[in-house]
Amino acid sequence: MIVSAGTGGPMGFPRLLRLLPMVLTGLILCRAFPVFAGNPASRPNLRIGVLAPLSGPFASGGSSFLQAATLAVERANAGGGVLGRRAELVVADSQGRVDIAKSEALRLISREKVFAIVGAYLSEETVGAIEAAVAARKLLIVPVAATAEITDGVSRDYPRYRYVFRVGYSIPQWAAMMSEFLRQRGVKTYAFVGASIRWNRELAGALKKTLAGSGILPVYEAFYSPRNPAFEPVAVAAAAASPDIVVLGDPGKNSVVFVKRFREGGSGIPILSVGGSLGDSRVAPSLPLSAPLYVQAAAWEGASEAATAYVEGFEKRYGYPPVGYSDTLPYDAVTVLLSAIRAAGRLDTDAVLTALEKGTFPGAAGTYRFDASHQAIWGTAPGDLHGTVIQWERDGARIVFPLR
Amino acid sequence: MKKSEPFRHGKFPGVLAAGAGVLLLLPLAGLDAFLLNVLTLGFLVAVYTGSWDIVGGVAGQVSLGHALFFGTATYACALLTSLAGCPFPLAAVAALLLATAAGAAVGTLSAPLKGPFVALLTLALGEAAHEFILGQTFFSPQGGYSWGGEGGIPVLLRVQPLSPWTAYYAALAFLVLSTWLMLRIARSEEGLIWTALSGSELSARASGVDVLRYKRRAFMFAAALAGAAGVGFAAFVGRATADDFSLELSFQAATFAAVGGRGTIVGPVLSALVLHSLLQGTGIPPAGRVLLYALALLLTLRFFPGGVAGTLRDRVRSRRMVAPGKEGNR
Amino acid sequence: MSPLAQVLVDGIFTGASYALMAAGLALILGVVKVVNLSHGAFFTLGAYVAYVLEANGVDHPVAAVVMAAAIAFAFGVFLGKSFINPVRSHPFSVAVGSLGFAILFEQAAQMLWGPHPLSIDLGAPLATLHGVTLRRWGVISFLLSLGLAGGLSLLLSGPWGLPLKLIAEDEEIAGSVGMDVEKIRYLTFGAASAVAAVAGALLAPAMAITPTMGRVPLILSLIVVIASGMEKVWNLFFLAVGLGLLSNVSAYLLAPSWSYVLLLAVICLLLVLRPSGLATAGPGRDY
Repeated sequence: MIVSAGTGGPMGFPRLLRLLPMVLTGLILCRAFPVFAGNPASRPNLRIGVLAPLSGPFASGGSSFLQAATLAVERANAGGGVLGRRAELVVADSQGRVDIAKSEALRLISREKVFAIVGAYLSEETVGAIEAAVAARKLLIVPVAATAEITDGVSRDYPRYRYVFRVGYSIPQWAAMMSEFLRQRGVKTYAFVGASIRWNRELAGALKKTLAGSGILPVYEAFYSPRNPAFEPVAVAAAAASPDIVVLGDPGKNSVVFVKRFREGGSGIPILSVGGSLGDSRVAPSLPLSAPLYVQAAAWEGASEAATAYVEGFEKRYGYPPVGYSDTLPYDAVTVLLSAIRAAGRLDTDAVLTALEKGTFPGAAGTYRFDASHQAIWGTAPGDLHGTVIQWERDGARIVFPLR
Repeated sequence: MKKSEPFRHGKFPGVLAAGAGVLLLLPLAGLDAFLLNVLTLGFLVAVYTGSWDIVGGVAGQVSLGHALFFGTATYACALLTSLAGCPFPLAAVAALLLATAAGAAVGTLSAPLKGPFVALLTLALGEAAHEFILGQTFFSPQGGYSWGGEGGIPVLLRVQPLSPWTAYYAALAFLVLSTWLMLRIARSEEGLIWTALSGSELSARASGVDVLRYKRRAFMFAAALAGAAGVGFAAFVGRATADDFSLELSFQAATFAAVGGRGTIVGPVLSALVLHSLLQGTGIPPAGRVLLYALALLLTLRFFPGGVAGTLRDRVRSRRMVAPGKEGNR
Repeated sequence: MSPLAQVLVDGIFTGASYALMAAGLALILGVVKVVNLSHGAFFTLGAYVAYVLEANGVDHPVAAVVMAAAIAFAFGVFLGKSFINPVRSHPFSVAVGSLGFAILFEQAAQMLWGPHPLSIDLGAPLATLHGVTLRRWGVISFLLSLGLAGGLSLLLSGPWGLPLKLIAEDEEIAGSVGMDVEKIRYLTFGAASAVAAVAGALLAPAMAITPTMGRVPLILSLIVVIASGMEKVWNLFFLAVGLGLLSNVSAYLLAPSWSYVLLLAVICLLLVLRPSGLATAGPGRDY
């Protein structure tokens, strides 16, 4: 197996049975590429660290992260490895805390001797991991955390922070992509409902600013307490404000509950979600679809060949499709990193860094390239990564943006 | 390491000193940066847990909002150094004073209450502080983005970052000093009054003790120590987040203290150090780690109902009480 | 119809769901004299039972309730016998141990069903009266908690409640009168856990099911139980409904981010101004 530490994923009896075909597939693949059948005499493995919350309230995002990263590494190895070595994931649980994230990043670097780290998931974890990584001059590829502080270091203090790259979208980019969709829908007013956490508020602000230019205004903005959300009054107030669409900023489970409450109240206003739990196809069948429910994702099956290949691979490996956010972005983060290592031609951090800065790398969501602050370029211009918006229907999801 | 009640004489202080010696020499045995990091954090967590024991164990006022004092200190350090440009030592002093003031406030409010109501009030205050801090954002001086909320605020030290060795020894010294201080105060007149309060407030009041005043002082002392641990944490980790006020952190103090032995000071300090190092320092997979923690709680408390140190202390005491004649001169 | 009317009705329903959780916790606190921090875990257990049954095609809520109650009762009795009773000399340790059980359960749930949120079909609301939607789960919680409060109140004031009240009052006397205090303790613990699980099974369609979903209901019910003074069952019910109303109305009229802080502030005020809770409590219990 590629993962070198336990993952703590679900291991009920039916899932054990499902592992069997995968194990057999893995063995067959090993046979097909005898060089990488675990020959100890070959070069040592390329160790990549994965830092994500695998326990606690954010374990859902963290475990999707790990699943996707594992898939990416298996793909790479099936394709012949990286520079003649097998890629190997070393897993660390950041537990959703900054001190633990820093400590685990240190473990990955000083003890497990990883070449680079992909992580973390939450903003607070990521900033902790950044400090540990830059002090040790190791590359840190950030898949998901959207806060501006992550790439700010690169522009403010390049010599120290140049090891940080973000593959996921930043908040202004996120707002730009959502705004494009909203403009296309022809909405004039919208409501924003999110959790009372900093990045949700920042996203709301960025969305407001971007849409103001097109004359689209928010008629209701609410941020519920993440600890004890008051769903019903927010649902009632949002419906009463009669927006053309309701934007849900919380990628967690609270959005699922909100959608249920909102529709229960009888409102037929369409909903756009930033993704996450609402993109889970195991949850979708129980979601009320009396009115349109749109979900944004980094990539979705059918958006491109690469995206379809990724989704099918994920579904074959794990039995269900990815949600499109907390899995797709880490998958691309690992893929981009490994491609950059191949492009650099040697296992040298500075060489890989330069390769990342200068090159383009295909991933499930499209072709990645980084700007001067090491931020992947997502947006609405041609050549940008643009994400996807799907609409849930009874028999599955339909891509509604971008229209082909 | 043997855990038992602090005696004025006997082999106990020797055992503690031996333990401290081991910790002193440990880095020389070739620990890598990661383990040094884990142990340094462990020392800070140990002081934090010990400070809980002052108010929750010795004084018997179960507090479920201890993280409030810890978070006040870390946040004060972060805000003062990053936004107000204060040098760290000044911010540290301010943070300590703020934490102590918070302790005084909580102590005053909770002093008229008894038992579960103290727990509820401290829980509510801690949660309210957490919610409040979660919603507060501050614009960074460099501009372009904001700090605060769940992402936290950095702590600017303005000196060369501490080497892992310096941090380790500084934290160890802090632990030894704090533990000595806590033990001294627990055995002092103040501490004895606290112990009396935890037994029966009515009797204490009947003996003429100003119950309100002593309860408040217990909170202040505990808050000051928790604040000191917070200052250390802020300096070491370099960031203060809303998690520093979280309910999970408050519960952690009470939980570690229960395992160690509520009221023994040494028990909570050692159990916090051991549990933290074991859980964070051994690289166990996450599922195993959580299961280990839960089982540790259940099994330890099942067989040592008063916590490890507490149960041992009770056993030693009861053995002493049996057949005093047989024991001979003591 | 005015949205405020909807908010008020929802507030009552939300409060009733707090009361549902709090009732079981209060029973344990009163009779078993333990702060049960695993109460949320039993709630989660009930929700997962409902999910597993629905995933296997059994759609009847009664089946979910019965199964949840049975499984939770069994686990509750087991926990009571193996941990709660033997450690009762140290109530604080019992509380911490129950937290350990909750953590154990959360991890087991994560390993069995994964950490991802799961969802059951909610179904249509029960009715719409004058433009106010009566949410299905809301009506169920309200009726059930009303029934529970009434039932408990009757139980405690009737002949069956005498043993429970005696144990709550003084266990030694109860033991000396020939009551099997140990058995009543763990049976009560099991019964209260079953109630939490039933609440979870019934409310599951309205929520997103995750291993840690019981944490928030636990804290809220803990707040309600202690603040209500643990004396009269109806005090608990009315306080819970009051807090539900406060939380919802403040979210609607002020800002949703303040609803939780306001609730906490009101609790603090209640405690500071009326140190013995809403009703006079007995001598302060030792924790």
